[in-house]
This record gives sequence, C-alpha cells and structure tokens, in this order.
Amino acid sequence: MTGAAAAPLLRVIDLVKAFPDLVALDRVSLRVEAGEVVAVVGHNGSGKSTLVKILAGVHRADGGMVETAPGTELHFIHQDLGLVGELTAAENLALAKGTGPASVAPSRGRTERERTRALIGRFGPVFDVDVPVRGLTPAQRAVVAISRALDGWTHPANVIVLDEPTESLHRGEVDVLFDAVRRVAADGAGVVFVSHRLDEVLSLADRVVVLRDGRKVADEPVARIDRRRLVELITGRADVSSPRVRDRRGEGEVVLSVRGLRGATIERLDLDLRAGEVVGVAGVLGSGREAVPSLLAGATAADAERFTVSETAYPRRSPARSMRRGIAFVPGDRGRLGAVRDLTARENVTLPQLRTLTGPLGWVRTGAERAEAGALMREYDVRPARTEQRFALFSGGNQQKLVMARALRDRPAVVLLDEPTQGVDIGAKATIYEAVERAAAGGAAVLVSSSDAKELLRICDRVVVLREGRVAAELSGAELREPRLVAESYGLA
Amino acid sequence: MTTNRGAVLRALSFRNISAVYIFVAMFAVFSLWIPEKFLQPGVWRSLLDAEALTGLAALAALIPLVAGSLNLAVGAQVGFSAILSAWLLSRAGLPIALQLPAVLLAGAAIGLVTGLVITRLRVEPIIATLGMSSILLAGMAWISGSQQILDLGPDYRWIATGQLGGVTFPVYILLAVAVASWYVLERTPVGRRMYSAGFNPEAARLAGVHVERLRVGALVAGGAIAALAGALLTSRINAGDPTVGPSFLLPALTAVFLGSTQFKGGRFNVWGTIISMYVLAVGIKGLQLAGSPRWVNDLFYGLALILAVALSQWERTARRGSAVGRVLRGIGRRPDGGRS
Repeated sequence: MTGAAAAPLLRVIDLVKAFPDLVALDRVSLRVEAGEVVAVVGHNGSGKSTLVKILAGVHRADGGMVETAPGTELHFIHQDLGLVGELTAAENLALAKGTGPASVAPSRGRTERERTRALIGRFGPVFDVDVPVRGLTPAQRAVVAISRALDGWTHPANVIVLDEPTESLHRGEVDVLFDAVRRVAADGAGVVFVSHRLDEVLSLADRVVVLRDGRKVADEPVARIDRRRLVELITGRADVSSPRVRDRRGEGEVVLSVRGLRGATIERLDLDLRAGEVVGVAGVLGSGREAVPSLLAGATAADAERFTVSETAYPRRSPARSMRRGIAFVPGDRGRLGAVRDLTARENVTLPQLRTLTGPLGWVRTGAERAEAGALMREYDVRPARTEQRFALFSGGNQQKLVMARALRDRPAVVLLDEPTQGVDIGAKATIYEAVERAAAGGAAVLVSSSDAKELLRICDRVVVLREGRVAAELSGAELREPRLVAESYGLA
Repeated sequence: MTTNRGAVLRALSFRNISAVYIFVAMFAVFSLWIPEKFLQPGVWRSLLDAEALTGLAALAALIPLVAGSLNLAVGAQVGFSAILSAWLLSRAGLPIALQLPAVLLAGAAIGLVTGLVITRLRVEPIIATLGMSSILLAGMAWISGSQQILDLGPDYRWIATGQLGGVTFPVYILLAVAVASWYVLERTPVGRRMYSAGFNPEAARLAGVHVERLRVGALVAGGAIAALAGALLTSRINAGDPTVGPSFLLPALTAVFLGSTQFKGGRFNVWGTIISMYVLAVGIKGLQLAGSPRWVNDLFYGLALILAVALSQWERTARRGSAVGRVLRGIGRRPDGGRS
C-alpha cells in the first residue's frame, strides 16, 4: 500500500508480440504507480488492444515480461464488457464471487440484488437488476461491468484496466465513471485507461502513453501535453478533427417522411429527411436516440400514422424491404449486427445485393465480385485491402469502413447510421465522415444517431434532440452549437 | 503477399486436408495389417456403393446446418422415408412412378414442419429436431408395426442395385445431389445468404436476408434428400426395415463436422463432407475386415465426431495462436503485413 509505494504496482518490460501478419507490440514498456491513472492511446492497430489482451492473459507475449507488486491483482473492464447476456445484473455481479467451497453454497438472491443496486447507485440512477443484461442499454451494461470490477476488493492496491469503457456512455455517465475511477486511484489503486477519446484522456489521466504501429512513441505527464500534440503523436500528422465549415445545402425533396412513429423507446417521432441533407439525432441515454435508425430501417417493429418513402406509403417494414426501397442501415453494434464475422470482406460487402453479380443459371461471378469488392475497399481505404480476409480479422475502424462501404454501395436514397464512429480511430473517422459527405452530396438523405456531440456538430446540417422518446428540439444554423445541444439533451434549455 | 508456393503449401497442409492424410495413414495401416482382405477391388466397390446413402444423409444434415439448424432427425427422416416407401409399394400398391415422388414430397413436408416449428414456434433447432426424430420413430413403428415390410415387387430393387460401368446408381445419384448442393451453396446468392444466416442470423437479417425463409427452405431440401436416401435404402435391402434408418445419424453428422475442417477453413461444405464420409467409412470397413466386433462402429464414430469438432475448434484458435504456424508463416513478412 502507500507505505511501500516506491515499487510500481504494475511493470511491463519490453513486451513483444508478433502475429502472422504483423508485429503488434515491439518492445513496449510501461509502469503504473499506486494512485496513478495511466492512459494508453493509439490508432486501431497501434497495439493497445494487444497490450490489454496480454495483461489479461488472452494472448501470450513472445518476449518481455509483466510484473505486478506482491498481492496486486489486475481487474479488467473490456470494451465488450464480458457480461453474460442471459443473466441479470445481480447474477453477473455474483458470478465473480463465490469460488471454492462457496460456489456450492446457496446464493442469496435478495442480498445480492440489494448489493447490486447499491453498487450501481454509485454511478447514477438505479435500473432494474432483475432483467437479463442483454435487454439493458449499452450504457447500463457498462455500469454493470464497472460495478463488477470494483466490487469486493479486499485492499486498494490493485490495478484496474479500463479498455475503452466509455464507448457507449454519454457525457454525464462518463463523468460519474471518472469520479469513481479517481476515487479508486486516490485510495491507492493504479489505473490503466485505454481510450480513443482524447478529451477524456486529457481530463482523467495523470500520464499518457502513446502507441503507434506497435511502438511506444511517447510516455509523458498529461500536464506536458495538449490535444493537438496528442493527435500528432497518435497519427504522426496534424489534427484532422477540426470542425468543417458547414455549407447549408439547398432544400431537397423529402425522401423519407414519418408521422407518429412509435416503437422501442420512441414515444412519438415526426421526421422528414430531405435529399442531400445530413440530419443528426442527439439525446442522452434513454432518450430514444439509439432506437431511431433501427426503427426507420424497419429492423425494429414500430407503428406509424404515416410512413412514406419518396411519397409512397411503406406500411409493412423489414430490413429486406427497406433495402429494396433504397434505405441503407448501419447498425451501432458492429460486432454483433454490423456484419457476418465469419464471412470474408468480399462476401460481407456484396451480401445485401448480389443481383448485379450473377451470371446465367444464377451463379455468382466471383471475378467480378472480387473486382467490385476490391474497388470498394480501396475507395474506403480499408486496410489491408484483402477481399478474401475474414471480416473478424480486420481492426474495428476497418470493419466499420467495410460496413459503410456495403451500405453505400448501391447509392441508397436514405442512409441511416447508428453511432457510425463508435470505437473507431481518428483516421477511420475521417474516412467515414468523408463517405457521409459524399453520400449527401450525391443526393442521399443521411441520418446520424450519435452520442458524440462534436461528431454531430461536424457533419450535420440540423440535429433533432430527443428527450424521453419525443423530439425536444431541432437545431440548425446558428443554433447548432455544442452548449445548446447539450443543454437541450438534458432538458436544461 | 501470398506466393504461389505458399498457397500450394497451405492447400496441402494437414490443417486444410487432414482427412486425406488420415485416409493415407489408415490405408497404409490396413494394407499392412490385412492386405489379403483390405486390398480387394470388391471391397472398394461395395464401400463406394454402400456409403452413397450415408453421403446423401450427410448432405441432408449439411444443408440445414449451413443455414443454422443442427438436424438431429436426419436418421429418423431416412428411416421413416424408407418405411414409407416400402408401405406405399406393398400396402398402398402405388406404382414406382408415383411412389418415389410421394416419398420425396413427404420428406420435404417433414422438413417444412420442422422448419415452421423452428421459425414460427421459436423452438431451438436441436430441440425441435430431437422431438421430430422421436415423432418420426413413432410413425415408423406405427406404419410398419415394427416389422419388416417385405413384398415390394420385383422392379424396385433395381433402382439401388442397377449398375452403370460397374458402379451402382446410388453413387451417381449422390454425385448429382452433391454437385447440385455444391452449386447452390457455393456458387449462388442463395447459398451465400444461407451461410450468412447460419453464421449470424441477426446481422444477416439486417443485411436484407430472409433468414427464416432460408432456414425453412434448407430443412425442406434436407428433408427431400433424406427421403431420397430412405427410398434408396429400401430398394437396396429390398425391404422396409424400421431398424436401419436411425443408424445414419451419427455417420452423417460426423462427416459434416469433419468435413467442415476440410478445404474451407471451418465452413461446412459439400466436398469436405463427402470426402470425410468416405474416409470414415474406410476406417470402419478396415476395422470390420480385421475382425473387430460391431460395437467398434459406434465407438469409432463417437470418437471421430468429438475429434472432428475439436479439430474445427483448434483450427479456429490456431489461426492466431499457433507458435509453429507463426514461425512458418512469418518468414519473409514485414511488420506492415499485406498492405500492397
């Protein structure tokens, strides 16, 4: 503990890890002292996920070593949270406990539930702990995972590794989480915080370690670094996320129009999407924001007083029918819903529409298919541009580029995007924004649902703010500013 | 990037075509052990012929599995169709020209019902087909009175025993069904969508794939193929035997799972299934010729099924983890990998 704090809690020395196609870690060293928050940042493919996986014992290092101080445990919160979807929040928390003889002792449901409620209560409003966590929102699931990692420590000198835990959290929840992390650190724990979100890194971390292409390129106190410098270190080039100059586009035709849409967490939504515009959907957790693209795409059941596409009624909705009407949908949960992980990049990209690639007797002309997939992958800068690689083997950012390429392949009239840049590095973000711009410039109506206010401000012409399943405000032009957007989201305006 | 030599080596690697290596090993063992019995042309011809029905049963299991339904009723489907075809000939007195289509239709209908139970009643495939299997066994016993149906008439036997170029018709039928299955699964949009529905139904649905329709369709096709196997079985033994059909389940599933480790790196596929089926059959045949008791069959298939699935899991993880593989494949690669 603090008395013996001279030795670091965690020391990583010259770690090396090579995969068949790349060297993921090239002699990376790192130390975490008691009470310190160390951020690890870098592009997708920079090696930070590999580092976490080695710490967690998922991968074995090829060289170097990982040392912990005596008695120090490593606790992890992974990006995919590691929850059992079929179990309730209380059961997920109880999973990690009761090993050894206690594992056959009767579980005490009521006590467990109360404990869980108390732990969750530290992070904000308590939700139902008796439903399977699969049915919770991403943010609620993250809260469950975090509660579990912090549950039942016997002494504070442990290391907690947060692997992009804030991907699905909105600002308010992130603050609550950070407060909790700071408290844990103040008690003498070490924290490793892996994130794409540079603002969060700068506000939370004491020290920043930057990885690029498997090498450590910086290891500095956060006080000596600013956002610009950090972006340069990560990308090796200047800041790419400066806000664009928004040129208000002309009023296009209404392509998709809904009145009284109701389903999932949406109580009532009236919305018109016009050709050539980018419409944002904002809102805090539970506002219904995350449900909008999927409801409009017909992927989730919904009632509507009126639902028209290009002035034609569209009563019975399904993903397949939407596709035929020129509505493309990019789901938020990329790993689970975005694509079929075990198919190749080529097969995923062409899956929705193979009609233009079939020859006589209905066979797929593989040569033409490969050429088209290859061209799309180059257009969207997917790396490596290997059409025959399995989807699962691409990094997160490149997976998302593939999903975008697939959605935009047949020049849809309506593009519905749910969190299009979640868990994606800066370079991929720029590519995706470009793709959105191009689609809109080409006459598509684009809808972007996002928890990232900066993203909406950067790419949208107007933003619809939802609160409790209804439209609370619509901002455009001079009103479309971050303070206003946040204020409307929380109902403070 | 991929060199030609690398591609050839990978194509010939144990991981890619383990069944072929297993075959070579078994062939060597049995040739040395019991050459006078094992190396007879008659043995091989009868193997080719007898296992054609297992091959059909394996394809009947494969197609639904590609679309995501593990079909545990395949054996019962074959058995039920065998009894039905015997009953239609002898008791109902249908001519063969009507009896065969009727059997195939009934098989397709069984697949349809199974498919609707899975998609409409939302019963897990493994449970739905297990239940269906029991129902079909009951149907077999009811129709046959648990007795062999013998008086099939003189002509029916010819279908499964007639020869062309020294090889019986079922072998050609299997080849035709295999080619058609391969074509649909690997060369058409329908096949592509079936694989996607099997791998990740929810993502496939969002990509516009009619997952439920494909699942039902796959079970209907599988049902018809199982019925074909049943009809040929009755023709081959010239009797409706209620005990034979169910024993097709284990060899068929084993072949499908072992087949998934061949050629296509973890995907269920037609030629892997057929090759694996014959390789397994050679193993069984060799053991029988060497004088092993009959229970060795069950032991062999049980072990092979477990090993086949273990092999496919190993294949999945080894892609990233195998140190030897990494050393072999990493030679000459630069850290930035395949960016051309």
